[in-house]
Amino acid sequence: MELQAINSKVSHIPFFSFLNFEIQEIGDLHAKAEMTFKSRHIGNPVMEHYHGGIIASYMEAIAALAVQPDFVELPAKPINLTVDYLRPGQKGPLFAQANVTRKGRRMASVSAFTWQADREKPVAEGLYHFLLI
Amino acid sequence: MTEISQQKMEQIAQMWNARGKGLITHMALEIEEVSTEGVLVRMPFNSDFCVDREQTLIHGGILTALLDSVFGLANFVAIEGVSTMATLDLRVDYLRPAYSRADVIVRANCYRQTRHIAFNSGSIWFDGHEGDEIARGAASFALTRGETSLFEAMAKERA
Repeated sequence: MELQAINSKVSHIPFFSFLNFEIQEIGDLHAKAEMTFKSRHIGNPVMEHYHGGIIASYMEAIAALAVQPDFVELPAKPINLTVDYLRPGQKGPLFAQANVTRKGRRMASVSAFTWQADREKPVAEGLYHFLLI
Repeated sequence: MTEISQQKMEQIAQMWNARGKGLITHMALEIEEVSTEGVLVRMPFNSDFCVDREQTLIHGGILTALLDSVFGLANFVAIEGVSTMATLDLRVDYLRPAYSRADVIVRANCYRQTRHIAFNSGSIWFDGHEGDEIARGAASFALTRGETSLFEAMAKERA
């Protein structure tokens, strides 16, 4: 799927626009994106770090796109998630990558992570399950 | 149930609502009940948080964000002398599709605290449908204890 087509679809989803990210790569069971920081993403108002819930939501969005990039109306249905917070998300761009570990007929398991300056120093990692039917 | 003082309640509500920026402000959260036993918070419907064009289906991620925020509040209320806290991990089950324009209600508590860690659980439903939970979550937080609390630091910055 072309990046332009998928980013156009993303822009029509209110919550994805709220998150303010752009898909940079979409391929065979993986997706990569960049999110631009907005004041509405702030969790800790003193330090101006990203809210943990925004990071979890962002990884969920990228994971859903990695599983079903060709979704018609709604992104893939999430079942549950686990997120491990490793470092504070500082004000600035936040990258995310999702890799589909397994995609069956009914279920998919996707791992995702986010990073800033150094890909080797992730901000958070997540594991997401989706229902495909 | 241990009631907290009116003064502390007012301070919490004031600091929570007067952040002036960030996600919690955008979510327009209203504290309905607060005690050391747990908190109950209302999030009004907001079309920004929907995934469909008709704007009736709420994205799961915002429910996760809501749990994370309200766990923080529950910890602040239940634990004395917390300087800062950071979410270590968060687990959420989406129990039903979140189709509604009703307000979202979340109840959360800190069910165990140690010197360094707080353990939380919480549950979410649409106003008027308490029997039909839409999500349930659990989290752990790393605490640092000290004289200056997070909320005092915020008050200082605002002053």
